[in-house]
Amino acid sequence: MRTILKAENLKKVYRVGRVDVHALRGVSLEVQEGEFLAIMGPSGCGKSTMLHLLGGLLTPTEGRIIIDDEDLTAASDAKRTDIRRRKIGFVFQRFNLFPTLTAEGNLRLAERIHDDGGDDPERRREVLRLLRLEDKMHHKPTELSGGEQQRVALARAVVTHPAIVLADEPTGNLDTENSAIVLNMFQELNYRFNQTIIMITHNPEAAAMCRRIVQMRDGLIVEPPGGVQM
Amino acid sequence: MDSLVTANIRQRPVRSLVSAAGVALGVALVMLFTGLARGMSDEMHRRSSNVLAEIIFTRPGSMELTSSMTNLSVKYVERLQAIEGVESAVPVIRYVSQGGKGFGFEQIEGVDWEPFSRMNNIALIEGRAPAANDEIVIDTTKAQNGNYKPGGVLQLFGGKPYRVVGIYAPESGARIKMSLAAMQDALESPGKCTYILVKCKQGYDQVAVAKNIDASPTTSGNKIQFTRDVFVNIEKSIPYLNVFLRVLVGLAAVVSALVVMLAMYTTITERTREIGILKAMGASRGYIISEIEKEAILISLLGLVAGFIAAFIAGILVQRLYGLSFEIAWSWALAAAAIGLLGGALGALYPAMRAANLDPVSALAYE
Repeated sequence: MRTILKAENLKKVYRVGRVDVHALRGVSLEVQEGEFLAIMGPSGCGKSTMLHLLGGLLTPTEGRIIIDDEDLTAASDAKRTDIRRRKIGFVFQRFNLFPTLTAEGNLRLAERIHDDGGDDPERRREVLRLLRLEDKMHHKPTELSGGEQQRVALARAVVTHPAIVLADEPTGNLDTENSAIVLNMFQELNYRFNQTIIMITHNPEAAAMCRRIVQMRDGLIVEPPGGVQM
Repeated sequence: MDSLVTANIRQRPVRSLVSAAGVALGVALVMLFTGLARGMSDEMHRRSSNVLAEIIFTRPGSMELTSSMTNLSVKYVERLQAIEGVESAVPVIRYVSQGGKGFGFEQIEGVDWEPFSRMNNIALIEGRAPAANDEIVIDTTKAQNGNYKPGGVLQLFGGKPYRVVGIYAPESGARIKMSLAAMQDALESPGKCTYILVKCKQGYDQVAVAKNIDASPTTSGNKIQFTRDVFVNIEKSIPYLNVFLRVLVGLAAVVSALVVMLAMYTTITERTREIGILKAMGASRGYIISEIEKEAILISLLGLVAGFIAAFIAGILVQRLYGLSFEIAWSWALAAAAIGLLGGALGALYPAMRAANLDPVSALAYE
């Protein structure tokens, strides 16, 4: 197995007025290809900041992030965007689908962004079939349940074959039944396609479905540095 | 078509329509004004090209585009006819009044029908020449536009009824003509005219004849103009018309750009979160700018088409209701198209760049 993501001594300080807020105080993490990792911790411990840094949406105050052999921290803003485009798929708690587009339209948009106008109807159908959304292809987000919307968001994240899927509380807005369905989908993607997934969650049941759990507190990984293997 | 651009336009139909209407307004204004200017210019040119006299003999300041005076004695007709190279001289009174429907201007000419028609090769195709003081003849265009026939009545000089006794062709000078005597009577200017049309004998150069007129002690001291110079393009004869049209075009461009900018700015604010999602998906600044620009250009294109249609309908209505000529000026149409599209594209540029520069994390957190 090779290391697909390596974060070294990540620090992030936000300036709020005249006060420095230390969101991350030196986090190091290695993720192997095909891992399904949960990052857990109380609110404000720096989980979301960590995910945004790993996804190149933020830049660290200190430290280094290597994704699939590319140094994210040394890259310019445009290069970081490019790495994100090619290597990362995001899934958010609030689904964040484009309300004006159908389920398939959302996937096609991801393809266009990823592949400069790319269009692969077969791949879209395959992903939607895998996530059992074939019959919802032409539905807009408002015509879908929360669970279905999150599955479309997951389909959109993986349709472009990203190296890593970063999921920010993907079951946070779902009921128990839909949470279970979505988590099963994550697990299926991980097992069947060796998809690397890093998921932030508060939910111990969701974390239990991952292969490894990392606990964070006060901007640091606290338990244990390598995480708990499930 | 399931692209973000068309989906966004469909999602906010009122916003899209208002933005397109803003562009359409600018385009329609340019098209309508330039179309009317071109129509009137071409019409004037057509009518003046049927005046076959080469020289116009008048007094300085007696003939302007929108007014004229009756201050030239008809005694000059005999004096002009005595000059070498002059074949004939015909006195004309030109009267300019407000258009019949309170819009634009209308010209009426007082002429002695027989010498005037002979000089300019025009002929009555219906009825007869005006004889009595309340009789007029009109050209075929006037007859068609107003559905007039011999026997019909037109109100002239503030409501005074005049009977149409004949219809002539081709159109030449004013569309309504009455006898010189009738016009002199109506204007209380006996023995006077506005100008005298001078036709040169065959083989004589008009410049040489003009010099003869100017040199003659019986006619010198008056204004001698060549017909070809008097009936010039209306765009040249109205001072600053072109400047006015250019200012109009500039204003139209500004209106289009501002409307699109406002609409796109509001849209960007509304869609801050979606821009955050695009950024999270790896959309580059260029991609975000191009998506917003495409939307603005599509809206502008809709506005452009609507503007052309609106201008065309308005032009036809003005023509039918007020008798003014409307002709699409294709060079201005191109300018209007460029204004609509460029205005929209430029208007969207600032909101697009603002969107492209949004911080993705803040944008994603936007409520």
